[in-house]
Amino acid sequence: MTSFQSTIGDEEGIAEELAEGQREISIAEFFEKNKHMLGFDSGARGLVTAVKEAVDNALDATEEAGYLPDIYIEIEEVGDYYRLVIEDNGPGITKEQLPKVFGKLLYGSRFHAREQSRGQQGIGISAAVLYSQLTSGQPAKITSRPKGQSRAQYFELIIDTDTNEPEIQADEETTWDRPHGTRIELEMEANMRARQQLHDYVKHTAVVNPHARLELREPGLDEPLKFERATDELPAETEEIRPHPHGVELGTLIKMLEATESYSVSGFLQEEFTRVGKKTADSVIDNFRDVYYGRELAWSPPREHDDRDVASAVADAVANKGAEATSAFADGVAEAVGNHDRVTRSQLAAIVDNAAETVEDDTGKTFGGTVRENAVDAAWRAVTGLGRADEAADSGEGGEGADEVEESPLVPDAYALVDEATSTRKDDEAVQAMAEALARRFENLDGDAFRITRDDLERLVADAASFVAEQRDATFGETARGNVVEAFWSRAVTVPDDPPKVKAIAGDRDAAADLLDAMRTTDILAPPTDCLAPITAELVEAGLRKEYDADFYAAATRDAEVHGGDPFIVEAGIAYGGEIPADGSVELLRFANRVPLVYQRGACATTDVIKNIGWRNYGLDQPGGSGMPNGPAVISIHVASTNVPFTSESKDALANVPEIEDEIELAVREAARELKSFLNKRRSMQQRREKQDVLGRILPEMADKVSEVTGRSRPDISGALARIMNNVSVEREVTDGSVTLVVENHSDVNEELDITDIVSTEPTDLSDGTVVDMDGEWFVQWKPEVPSGDERELTYAVDGDPEFEVSVGGVETEKLTVND
Amino acid sequence: MTTESDARDELIDLAADFYDQFAAGKIPEMTLPTRTKSNIEYDEASGVWTYGDRTSTRSANSVRGARKLLKAAYTIEFLANQLDDDRSSTLRELYYLSESWDNDEAQFKSQDESNDLVEDLEIVTGVTREDFHMRPEESGAKVMGPLEIREQTNRGDREIHCQLDVGQGGYQIPNNPDTIEFLDNDAEFVLCVETGGMRDRLVENGFDEAHDALVVHLGGQPARATRRLTKRFRDELDLPVVVFTDGDPWSYRIYGSVAYGSIKSAHLSKYLATPEARFIGIQPEDIVEYDLPSDPLSDSDINALESELEDPRFQTDYWEEQIELQLDIGKKSEQQSLASRGLDFVTDTYLPERLGEMGVL
Repeated sequence: MTSFQSTIGDEEGIAEELAEGQREISIAEFFEKNKHMLGFDSGARGLVTAVKEAVDNALDATEEAGYLPDIYIEIEEVGDYYRLVIEDNGPGITKEQLPKVFGKLLYGSRFHAREQSRGQQGIGISAAVLYSQLTSGQPAKITSRPKGQSRAQYFELIIDTDTNEPEIQADEETTWDRPHGTRIELEMEANMRARQQLHDYVKHTAVVNPHARLELREPGLDEPLKFERATDELPAETEEIRPHPHGVELGTLIKMLEATESYSVSGFLQEEFTRVGKKTADSVIDNFRDVYYGRELAWSPPREHDDRDVASAVADAVANKGAEATSAFADGVAEAVGNHDRVTRSQLAAIVDNAAETVEDDTGKTFGGTVRENAVDAAWRAVTGLGRADEAADSGEGGEGADEVEESPLVPDAYALVDEATSTRKDDEAVQAMAEALARRFENLDGDAFRITRDDLERLVADAASFVAEQRDATFGETARGNVVEAFWSRAVTVPDDPPKVKAIAGDRDAAADLLDAMRTTDILAPPTDCLAPITAELVEAGLRKEYDADFYAAATRDAEVHGGDPFIVEAGIAYGGEIPADGSVELLRFANRVPLVYQRGACATTDVIKNIGWRNYGLDQPGGSGMPNGPAVISIHVASTNVPFTSESKDALANVPEIEDEIELAVREAARELKSFLNKRRSMQQRREKQDVLGRILPEMADKVSEVTGRSRPDISGALARIMNNVSVEREVTDGSVTLVVENHSDVNEELDITDIVSTEPTDLSDGTVVDMDGEWFVQWKPEVPSGDERELTYAVDGDPEFEVSVGGVETEKLTVND
Repeated sequence: MTTESDARDELIDLAADFYDQFAAGKIPEMTLPTRTKSNIEYDEASGVWTYGDRTSTRSANSVRGARKLLKAAYTIEFLANQLDDDRSSTLRELYYLSESWDNDEAQFKSQDESNDLVEDLEIVTGVTREDFHMRPEESGAKVMGPLEIREQTNRGDREIHCQLDVGQGGYQIPNNPDTIEFLDNDAEFVLCVETGGMRDRLVENGFDEAHDALVVHLGGQPARATRRLTKRFRDELDLPVVVFTDGDPWSYRIYGSVAYGSIKSAHLSKYLATPEARFIGIQPEDIVEYDLPSDPLSDSDINALESELEDPRFQTDYWEEQIELQLDIGKKSEQQSLASRGLDFVTDTYLPERLGEMGVL
């Protein structure tokens, strides 16, 4: 483990490591050593962390049970200590579960689950229990009332720090006014110096959990802080998914191998992992065979001019089967071998079996196992020249060159491959030397099947190359060696051997590592995303709306993406203006799986992303064009994942994972684009208002002046005004009991208006429109659509001299001129 | 030319246009030729530079445009009243006078603004500002030479001989030279001189008497009145016109505005420019020939010369040769550098030689 950052996702890895630690040191000592990682490094922080862990648990528990969370948090001063009380309306906890949930460090129901949940590591609440116990000496006091039970159960619980086992000290019935839920009471050494963080945490929790009701009481507050619900909708239930093969670590894999009920690797893969079916399992197993067993190198069968001869070798190896059957068998093998460009020992064995069965069927002779084995050995010797030295020794007495072993037939084969793999500039001698060096090393491999893993092949080629370099002064560089390895490896064939059984792999760390390797190298579909529950853009906005009184809100939810086998979704929201303080930099709210991140803002990937966005482009002030933008804005970012990568166990800051950073940026930009168009529109409305003010003053003055100069009466300028202001004008004309409302659209877009004219006598002869009698007043309504540059006349008839009052909707007031 | 009542009617017509636009529910606007260098075209027939076909519209559609038109309405009223009362005022007075208007929005923020507006009104109404009775602050230009004129002043007509009746300074050209009537003259040619120092030298040396020259002082970029009078000398008295300036690119432009017109007053080119005017010197050739004291060309001089090479006004063999020579020698000289050969050199040698070459003398 090189750094925490890279192993945060490794839940099992941490578990293992922590568990190992526990065997050697007491849990108290372990906690003492690691409390900074767990968020308990000071009294101030410890209190916030304890609240955070307890609230996270409470939210998860209530949601899982389908209740809208109603959570009560109370902090009291008790002598030298602080007492923390957290109540929820969850399903309660049974007596059996209770010590495990609250007691034993590292226990957690979601410890193995690939599901989005707040608590990820199962460390949180038990660490708070331990912290309280270590600092105050008091047990955790837990009250639980499962739904439907008339009475609640009260427990006092401590953790035996030698064994890391929880002990229940008190267990009695009690009464509790909540119909169901859990209450935990912890006393601890603490202080309220982190009051602001505590308030932020609760407030932000309310923002990101608009379905939850929260209440906080603490000594510094005169009135409890209450956060009401903005929605009655629970977050979508998440599907638990099995782990993705690309997302597991070796420790996890071994545990899974130990725990599985599957017998075969294929079954194990299909049963325990998501996105693995028969086909994918087969690919994984083939890759596993290659790393575990290695491939078998393939060699070309003898050609006609060679004195090696498969048929005669096989015939010689067969005894007592009669000439006809023997030769049919031998010819069958030789012919099948001859049909291969290259053949491996396993392929040869299959060929022999095949030929044997054919001949058995034809002749009725039996070719048993021994015969077949002998035939395979003989044919293999003919193909590869193995054992030719022995033969030479046997038959060569007196013969010329008896002590000179014939060149291995592997050499020309190797020569062909080396020659093909290396550049033409290599001279023949060097290639020949390399081929010889390789052939020699291949012959020295264990067994006679030339099995070798890719790693070993690379080492072997490198060794041969350095030998050739030394002997012949011919260099085979890295690329050349790589090409040679590839040339042999691509012709080598995956072995037909069955993979070891699951139990065997579980007991063999190397085999398990090979399996993991195979899983990672196999292409596998990305994991499904229904295990995630985004807040959704509407509710992100609702959450902001609830806690920030702003002029503008926007939110965006991205589609799910995957990092390291874990799916994730990023959401962003922006609130702008209104009561949000305009001075200083914007407020950044960070959330992971609906949990607010309070500390280490500077170390967080979200902060980095925000700083790197050019905010001026979106209408926010950003000194120097980078860094945190300034202005009356709140930006909220939520990352939901089955495995949120944090920079440390205390879960304060998101790690800089490029895939996640990209999505954060896209989500924020999406919301920021809306902000930009809002700000632009606001600016243009402001300019329009200013223009209207100025023109509304100037033009009548100009009209006066020109009428003065020309000596004519003042012209009617309302038409010109409406036109200049790109306005929509509504003008009433009344002549002899007929009323006309003229709607002119001088804007550059089509306008859909909503016009209501309130008349004091009953109107008749309406053009379109509807009329409603409201207690002696008549509401005449039209919804005309007026294209840009066009006009509509809305008319009706009316008796006498009634009063009118027109109201116009559907158009911004800035754009509207009504001449009633 | 327009008469004063014509001028007044044109102004009222413009106001009436605005009125009619209002009454028709339209946005008041006025259309002008675009007053940029790219919209200046050479008019083959008259040999001067005038505005091309591109136009810009001042519309009350924007706050800026509306303010302009409001100011125009106020200015129209002011000018109409001024003509009614037969008064005149300077451009600068107009600027200050706007302060007294009852409307803050109509007041001018700077004199450039009022100057531009008066030019706009000239263009739209086709009436010159002289006919609006608007005059610039100072003309500064003077004439000395054998010419007798009658000028209508608001104190009655005055008959003046521009050599005999005037002091050393010469006859001051009025703002509206169309109030001058030519009575009699013995002049052979018109010599326009850029600098005051050189004009004084010529007068002191008696050059106007010796050669029957009308010496016109340009004083840098010449005022409209100076250019108008020069044109009338040419057109009405049929005198050849030569222009005598420093030997640098900026002075060539002074010659250009006398001969072909300027961008700002291109709408009046036919009325102000004298395409027959010829350049006498200082020519780059003279710098070499007379070995005149010189300064090296600065970067901006070189740029100006190069842009003159592109300028169609200077695309004649003569100018191309001279400008290329100047770029080649990298020097410029002032008129008064001729004094290096003695105070009488310019009148005794240089001008007679040059005028002889040009066939004027």
